[in-house]
Amino acid sequence: MNQSAPVQIVFKNIHKSDSHTLPVYLEGGGYKTLAKVLALTPEAVIEEVKKSGIRGRGGAGFPTGIKWSFIPRNSPKPKYLVCNADEGEPGTCKDRDILRYDPHLLIEGMIISAFAVGSERGYIYIRGEFNLESRRVEQAIEEAYAKGYLGDNILGKGVRFDLAVHLGAGAYVCGEETALLESLEGKKGQPRVKPPFPANVGLWGGPTVINNVETLASIPGIMEAGGAWYAGLGVEKSSGTKIFSVSGHVNRPGNHEVEMGISLRALLEEYAGGVRGGWDNLKGVIPGGSSSPILTREACETVKMDYDSIARAGSMLGSGAVIVLDKSVCVVRALARISRFYRHESCGQCTPCREGTGWMAQIVTRIEAGGGRAGDIELLEELCGNISGKTICALGDAAAMPVAGAIRAFREEFVYHVEHGRCMVE
Amino acid sequence: MPTLIIDDREITVKPGTTIMEAARSLGIEIPHFCYHPSLSIAGNCRMCMVEVEKMPKPVISCAMPVNDGMVVRTNSEMVVKARRGVMEFLLINHPLDCPVCDQGGECKLQDYAVKYGPDRSRFQDKKRTVPNYDLGPVIETEMNRCIHCTRCIRFSTEVAGVEEMGAIFRGDHMKVGPCPGHGPLTSVLAGNLAELCPVGALNLKPFHFQARGWELSKTEGICEHCAVGCHIRVDSMENRIYRIMSRQCSSINLDWLCDKGRFAFEGMTEGRLQVPMMVPESGGPQVEVTWNQALDRVAALIQGVAPEEVAGLAGSWGQGGEELYAFQDFLRHVVGTPHLDHRLLRKDFSPDSIPLLRADLMLNTPLQDMERADAVFLIGAGPRFEMPLLNLRLRKASLNGASVWSLGPRHLLSKLENLEEAIVLPGEEADFLRKVLNAMTTRRGPKAAVAWANALRKAQRPVFLLGRFAVNHPNAETLRRLVLAVLGKAEAVEPGWNGYNRMISGNGAGAHDLGVVPQRGPGYTKLGRRGMNAREIFEQSALGKIKVLFLMGLDMESDTVVEYLAAAAQAGTKIIFQGAFHSAAVDKVDVVLPGLVHGEKFSTLTNCEGRVQRSGRVVHGPIMAKEDWRILRALSQRFPQELPYDNLQELWEAMGREDRHYDPAVVDSGEIPKACDHGVGLTEGLECGAEVDAEENETDRLVLILEPSFYRDTPMSRRSSTMTKLDGVEVLRISGKEAKKHKIVAGDRVCIECNGHRVEVRTVVDERVKGGVLLGTREAMRELGGEKDGFLQVTLKVL
Repeated sequence: MNQSAPVQIVFKNIHKSDSHTLPVYLEGGGYKTLAKVLALTPEAVIEEVKKSGIRGRGGAGFPTGIKWSFIPRNSPKPKYLVCNADEGEPGTCKDRDILRYDPHLLIEGMIISAFAVGSERGYIYIRGEFNLESRRVEQAIEEAYAKGYLGDNILGKGVRFDLAVHLGAGAYVCGEETALLESLEGKKGQPRVKPPFPANVGLWGGPTVINNVETLASIPGIMEAGGAWYAGLGVEKSSGTKIFSVSGHVNRPGNHEVEMGISLRALLEEYAGGVRGGWDNLKGVIPGGSSSPILTREACETVKMDYDSIARAGSMLGSGAVIVLDKSVCVVRALARISRFYRHESCGQCTPCREGTGWMAQIVTRIEAGGGRAGDIELLEELCGNISGKTICALGDAAAMPVAGAIRAFREEFVYHVEHGRCMVE
Repeated sequence: MPTLIIDDREITVKPGTTIMEAARSLGIEIPHFCYHPSLSIAGNCRMCMVEVEKMPKPVISCAMPVNDGMVVRTNSEMVVKARRGVMEFLLINHPLDCPVCDQGGECKLQDYAVKYGPDRSRFQDKKRTVPNYDLGPVIETEMNRCIHCTRCIRFSTEVAGVEEMGAIFRGDHMKVGPCPGHGPLTSVLAGNLAELCPVGALNLKPFHFQARGWELSKTEGICEHCAVGCHIRVDSMENRIYRIMSRQCSSINLDWLCDKGRFAFEGMTEGRLQVPMMVPESGGPQVEVTWNQALDRVAALIQGVAPEEVAGLAGSWGQGGEELYAFQDFLRHVVGTPHLDHRLLRKDFSPDSIPLLRADLMLNTPLQDMERADAVFLIGAGPRFEMPLLNLRLRKASLNGASVWSLGPRHLLSKLENLEEAIVLPGEEADFLRKVLNAMTTRRGPKAAVAWANALRKAQRPVFLLGRFAVNHPNAETLRRLVLAVLGKAEAVEPGWNGYNRMISGNGAGAHDLGVVPQRGPGYTKLGRRGMNAREIFEQSALGKIKVLFLMGLDMESDTVVEYLAAAAQAGTKIIFQGAFHSAAVDKVDVVLPGLVHGEKFSTLTNCEGRVQRSGRVVHGPIMAKEDWRILRALSQRFPQELPYDNLQELWEAMGREDRHYDPAVVDSGEIPKACDHGVGLTEGLECGAEVDAEENETDRLVLILEPSFYRDTPMSRRSSTMTKLDGVEVLRISGKEAKKHKIVAGDRVCIECNGHRVEVRTVVDERVKGGVLLGTREAMRELGGEKDGFLQVTLKVL
């Protein structure tokens, strides 16, 4: 890995001034890939994306090309392409930069993707707090319509694609794809029971592809240089580049697009300016957004930032939000904050999540405040088991994983809290 | 056809069946809260999780469709653990107030807690508290107990079609309750929410703290409040009915019951006639007498005049087949008079000369099939308030894409989708139908008529429904024939489908079947001679030509009845009333014979589809009151010809001999009788009558249409306190156009005058009403004396 010349696929334009405007985007070769792609067959596009090996960048890491191939070719109902720009996973801020600084890249990616799956209608579901971003995307859509990149007859090729922005109203759960669809339909954002999956019954009952902003923004780069080239980046089964949002106790927090498979230590030290107070001051890292289990410093020494390596270390790559905690942090306190978040964001629909997140948050908060009782830690562990895998969507798992992970990694801190009624961290 | 194994038992089911349904058909009960066979799948309680081989996580059986070769375990270690976890979660915030909860003893949460729950709580933090809501007189809330299964929300939205219940907020703050801006429920089906609620969050308000479920005796019965004939379960204790619950019947009422069917029974103990009464020979007010004195007097009155000078009128609501049959038998064969009828509100008796047969008078499309209809035509019908459970079938059809077309004087509050309404002035309905008939062949005419014709032309399963307004219309027979004529032109109709339907009220179907009409005997047998119809009887009584009027089970508070009886009494006609409820008009009759009501006696009820169903006795009525047919039987002993049945069995057999639908072997078999088994085709050879006088179209004409209040249209429901609370404020509805013309502002009091009667009432401006029409409830306008042979033409003055 060489910091001097990192491959930039998604972030290639964002350092330019006025990068969000069409002239700047065109200057950088924008919409050229689109013209190239429209000469291909949709099947060839899907094949190329499959070849690239790109996996969904929203958190679950499902191979994008395979997801697209689930869409039935001849559907009596209209097919939809939905961009999930409801970036809500705490610690994640990568999609915001794409929306803010390079909306045309996303739009070009969406047109290509829509062409591939045969959709003529797309939505970008942007989280409600992204005010500037949504305005920029809307402006970019307007520019694209004016130049004929969107509309009834894209680039004169007889391809049709309409695109609109929909603003969310501030619910984390709407980042879950079926809750997002419900919200997009104007209903309360609550995940749907699956099956059926959105590829068959999605928005308004039509076959629907839902992709993350970063995934879609990677598509022009893949189509430009070829799936094989992209697959050559990163490591096996985690190809390409990934944007990591590094936050917390580092000297230079921010978004960094790097190849997958970089070591966590290299990411922190070479890109993020190192841990505050030096590597030895590191307590742990939450590597993939608040729902991923925390890694201890020992694990951080060696772990590589790709799907499989992090999974082997007992956590997950998730959305790529790397939250760094130094030794000043009380893990119980950090967990209490995270648990309160999931309690607040549980949609309330299904029993284990609705009741479980609230109960866990109460227990962790109580332990943190010095009211822990014998048996609380074991109870928490059991509750995690009773929530995980028993809920309608993954929010239940997302709430349980950090609890189970924190207890697994820092059990002694919890025990100290319960026994002494106070924190062992000064 | 996928074959799967559930708990080591193999079963083959239809593709698309869920694991839950497959298990049910094997008799394996999978515990659940949110799943309900008649509602959409929510999958939120997570109680029904099962283990499926090769799946890493437990799956919810209510939503998971079966696959060939699936191996399912409903009681494995994984399942038991998952279920225990869910139970613990459900219980942490659920109050431990079972001892004071109405649901106690019939609570799923309680049952499953015993079966799958822990014996103590590990929850030592703060329990959630949730405010309660005012959902009106039917539903009492205790929302702390809510487990968020959303059954009430799904029922309201999907079945009832009212988006009144919802869930606001998220997570463990999520609150199920009325949608913001909604308060008391308006669905006319609110009671079902309490029945659906698996816990004690939504309870029946009138039943609140009244009794425990296990103390109540549960008797199966049939609801008498409309002609749908819903299956009910009557819960009683110590000679008192405490509540009425729905009883599942897929061919009639599914799992539901309307609020009237549930709570009108409260009126059964109010204002009842306790003992026989009569006016002494010397005159003056009625005095209490013995049964023998009363019956002797009745016999003497009848024997004192010629048989032809006696006439009988029966009510149709609440009258069982037993007394209806005995009534006509008594009048025809014991007294010897042909004058009897039950059609008190009818204005058009012209078809009596044909006369109509069973299929002409009732539904021909079974209720169950109505939901398959692809085009529904409502002629003067408001099915939601005439037969709520029929409306649910129509709603299903409309949700499946059927178009709905309505013809009448007002817009409907029908909760039907795809509704197109043709609003015409009263009297112009036939005109519209003629245009439709014309458009069926010429494809030309006014836009609305052509649209009707186009919809009907391509309909494979059309349903025409003649409603109460059309049946009691002055041109009823013309409308009926036009409907037949229009239907006759429909060409795409599926073989075997009969879309001609006529609504019927109360036990009117039974009254027709058993011959309580002047033109036909029981079983539609032809008569040598036609007697007087209801209107002629009333008129002749008022003229003193009918000298003794025998009334059985009439609504003695009905405006029309009261008006006519006053005139009859004036003319010196002797009036005998046999019935259950006291009223001012009852005070004025010569002899009062106290009878029983539904629930206190065996009643055979015939529903709108012609199903004959029997309902038993649940409680005893007033000590001195008697079963109605026995009163007639006892009375007949004072005549040379006695009624030839001494017990119910003999009576039922006699009814069965007259009409095969009433054969006790069939009725009492326990099977649900077939719908629309009329045995005869529609009366054929009817030419569409074009001879009806077109109503004069005066510009200043105001027509007052009286609609019975849904909640208070029978003597019993009027006496029910819950029905009274549900009934809205009585107002006069008037169109914006008319309001402007008369310079009326909403809320103004106005005076309505008609035939020298006047009534004052508050107005509401309602754009659903057509100009030239006023809409009032019968209850509020009783002083106007009711409609007799036409619409009420009124004048309006602002006070």
